[in-house]
Amino acid sequence: MKNTRRTTALLGMAAAVLLATTACSGGLLGGGDAEDGGEAASGPIKIGMVIPISGSSAPSGEYMQNGAQLAVNEINDAGGILDGRMLELLVEDEACDAQQGVASANKLVSSEVVVSVGGYCSGATLPQLPIFGGANIPMIIPAANSQDLVREGLDNVFLINGTGLQQSTAALDFITKSGYATVALVDDNTSYSTDITTETESQVTGDGTAEVVLNTSVNAGESDYSAVVRDITGSGAEIVYWTGYYQEGGLIIDQLRQAGYTGDIMVADGSADATLAEIAGDAAEGVFATMTPTPDTLEGAEEWIANYEAEFGATPGPYSTQAYDAVRLAAEAIETAGSTDGAEIITALEGISGFEMFSGPLEFTDEHTLSNGGFVILKMEGGKFILEDSLS
Amino acid sequence: MSENTDTTFAPPPPRTKNTLGARLTAIFENKYIGWPALGIALLMPFITASAYSLNVMTTALIFVVLAAGLNIVVGYCGLLDLGYIAFLAVGAYTAGILSKMFELPVLFTLPAVIVMTVLAGLLIGAPTLRLRSDYLAIVTLGFGEITRITANNLQVTGGPSGIFGIPSFLTIGELDLQQPVIFYYITVVMVAGLVLAAARLGKSRLGRAWRYVKEDEDAAEAMGIHTYKVKLLAYIFGAVWGGFAGILFASHLSAVSPQSFLFLQSALVLMAVVLGGMGNMKGVVIGALVISLLPELLRDFAEYRYLVFGVLLVVVMVFRPQGFWPARGYEPERKMTAVDAAVAEGRSR
Amino acid sequence: MSQIIWDGLFVGSFYALIALGYSMVYGIIKLLNFAHGDLYMLGAFIGFAVIASFGGLATSLGLFALIVVMMLSMVITGTVGVVIERLAYRPLRGAPRLAVLITAVGASFTLEYGIAAIAGPNPRGFPIRLTGDVFVVLGARVTLPQIVLMIIAGLLMIALDTYIRRTSTGRAMRAISLDMKGALLMGVNVNAVISRTFFIGSALAGAAGVMAGAYYGKIDFLMGFIIGLKAFTAAVIGGIGNIRGAMLGGLVLGLIEAFGSELVGGQWRDAFAFAVLILFLTLRPTGILGERVTERV
Repeated sequence: MKNTRRTTALLGMAAAVLLATTACSGGLLGGGDAEDGGEAASGPIKIGMVIPISGSSAPSGEYMQNGAQLAVNEINDAGGILDGRMLELLVEDEACDAQQGVASANKLVSSEVVVSVGGYCSGATLPQLPIFGGANIPMIIPAANSQDLVREGLDNVFLINGTGLQQSTAALDFITKSGYATVALVDDNTSYSTDITTETESQVTGDGTAEVVLNTSVNAGESDYSAVVRDITGSGAEIVYWTGYYQEGGLIIDQLRQAGYTGDIMVADGSADATLAEIAGDAAEGVFATMTPTPDTLEGAEEWIANYEAEFGATPGPYSTQAYDAVRLAAEAIETAGSTDGAEIITALEGISGFEMFSGPLEFTDEHTLSNGGFVILKMEGGKFILEDSLS
Repeated sequence: MSENTDTTFAPPPPRTKNTLGARLTAIFENKYIGWPALGIALLMPFITASAYSLNVMTTALIFVVLAAGLNIVVGYCGLLDLGYIAFLAVGAYTAGILSKMFELPVLFTLPAVIVMTVLAGLLIGAPTLRLRSDYLAIVTLGFGEITRITANNLQVTGGPSGIFGIPSFLTIGELDLQQPVIFYYITVVMVAGLVLAAARLGKSRLGRAWRYVKEDEDAAEAMGIHTYKVKLLAYIFGAVWGGFAGILFASHLSAVSPQSFLFLQSALVLMAVVLGGMGNMKGVVIGALVISLLPELLRDFAEYRYLVFGVLLVVVMVFRPQGFWPARGYEPERKMTAVDAAVAEGRSR
Repeated sequence: MSQIIWDGLFVGSFYALIALGYSMVYGIIKLLNFAHGDLYMLGAFIGFAVIASFGGLATSLGLFALIVVMMLSMVITGTVGVVIERLAYRPLRGAPRLAVLITAVGASFTLEYGIAAIAGPNPRGFPIRLTGDVFVVLGARVTLPQIVLMIIAGLLMIALDTYIRRTSTGRAMRAISLDMKGALLMGVNVNAVISRTFFIGSALAGAAGVMAGAYYGKIDFLMGFIIGLKAFTAAVIGGIGNIRGAMLGGLVLGLIEAFGSELVGGQWRDAFAFAVLILFLTLRPTGILGERVTERV
């Protein structure tokens, strides 16, 4: 036993030695803990992005990453910002999970990013707010748009995707314009989705021209939605607004038509994906969608699409343009502020007026959301979404 | 008298081989090994104190608590619980809701969390513990899912968004204990205490009863052990450990959402226990650290993470079901008494 | 009302097909094959892959192509089931229950995330879709695809029942489930029969997967998880180990779920199904058709 006690003591000494030798590195006793807000005076300016790289939202992450990288490349090719400093994009995975999102946010903070331009799943983005906030790093969120993000009321958070509130306003516009008298609302019981149905219901009821005859939830991940189909057909609604994702949306649309539902169907931006048509088949024809413009529905975006395809060898998808704009906006704010200090960038962002983005000229509201949500109505024709009504 | 060759409860034989493997085993089996381990944990921030590494290490330690709790249920008592994450959910939500509602530091919700988790343990344990192990597994899975679905659907738990903006663990005057470094040290101390307590439980009379039930429930019942009560106690202790983990979890993330309590998470905790060595607290701690730290170190291979875990699980169970670090007989060394000496002498004649 | 009943029966027939495999395996080696639901998912993906490799030819042949694809998928899924049994379960045949259950969880994970790694984590649209006329029977909308699929499921179940009752392998299966050692002593090739059981059970799950893919149109790598649990519930309701019980249990569960969804709402559906399971296991663990089994000490 003496042997083991000696060896255990040796282990303890080894640990002490480790401590001594690592005093030079980034430990507590180490010097230069340069963590709070990249005040580095030279070298590349790092922009961080927490997006889903693995998991079921991974394709959206790829669209966003490519869009952002395109902007970074363009800006660097034009000579960079702040007197020739290059932009560097750091990407981390949130996998649509709160814990991983938090770890990734911390990783970016430790890597000294100046601005965050990520955020897809609201559920994973919400816990990241205090982490970036604590390090005084502004967040420009291109995709996640739950009202909860707005309600937190944090100074450093800016949303450049239309919020749930703005999306439901667009839905209401379309409903009243088209003259539907009865509306059914269906969500998939996730935060983003219930947001929209709650807002839509209150707006429709407040407006008074149409009536909400059904507001129900379904379980994501199932195949059989006959229960909700029965409810919808039984409610006699002239239009159904589905606010969940395309995986379930496709199934519900198909099963609705099979059950003989003759009313119109509208989906929210989480379902505005080409795979919807794959899953729903012919039933997807004529389905409407409230959506912020995707590259292929934007007027005048052909050149941008060509650049994207040349650079990445793939077609852009939803949120490519928003991510692209987020990086451009970040660069503009840094340039205007003249420094990489978080607080100054935030002031610059608040002051921006008329900055040209794909969703229109930018002006932030007091709540740091877009003054113009930018939602339009799309319609599915021939398996693809085309612009139906720009609602402006 | 016939030769008694059963050595399960005999003191471990003195080390005869001087190989590296034997020496390493002796080091790790030393009962004081906990101290250097604690020392390393306390010294880690001196090696790396970035926000990221502190975050990852704290998360890993919380996972260790979970693994320790599940070890009580699965490792000591042999109850396959596939819905263990429900206890983390109960603890985290209780801490989150109460601290936010009454604007208390999270630490003050501890009594309520203990009460709720004990209730949860009773609620889940009472109907299921009469079932055979196969059914027990699926039913506990069902309870895990029911807990998650309920948390997702109720208003009081914040629905699908969950609870966010949870206050700090504790604020003393001007000092906010939620700062990463301070919170890390609080976590280290709490986790060390919880792991030690769980290990002590395993060596107590109750722990021996658990092991007996795990080995052969009918024989245990025949020997007078109230198996139902013993199993229920294992459940409740496991639940309380989950509750402690929940408190740390809620203050660490400042947000609790139903997406953190999928069956996947229960399976990961189970993997930590199984791979580390069911019933051996030290092995379980290592298993937990590996399972929680490896994905961070291998971020590039995120897509294959769960595939690797699944394959590992099968491989381990087929080739080394006792886990990386098996549990050994726990009878403490007895000093040679006069009787033993006489018996030994009698045998050598 | 009649619509609810029909919808319930239709979903129930899927549950029944998968519950059969569960019950068969449990009956013979007392193992809850946790990976069974994932074989359903595998069947759907194999069907998807087979159709994709034939391209447009398959899509144009409709139902006929579907049946061919289904048989192919059944064979492949059955083989995979046998392989899993050889690799993961047979080495642990004498081991404590805990070990085998954990292995089953590992096998399930391997299948799920293996497919995710190969085919990507996104859901896919199934290339062959079934469309057909609609009839109104007793107030319920009944579509031709639904009728066809239920007939196929029914035929498979009848075939299985006949196999168990009439053939020697079926007799051997029943013998092994009663007493494995006794069957060994009587000269039954236990290993071969067990492999065959896994093959049949997995093939049935694979068939259900292809049918679900064709009917619902969407497949994803996690579709087997929840359906595996529902199938287990169905097997328990009917009496686990009992083939006819599994069929009955599947239909009963489908009906319970349909009526339950009307009562408690869509978002509680899974919780409701689990509550039913727990209720059955607490109050009537032997299920509807099960016999009281005394455990030998």
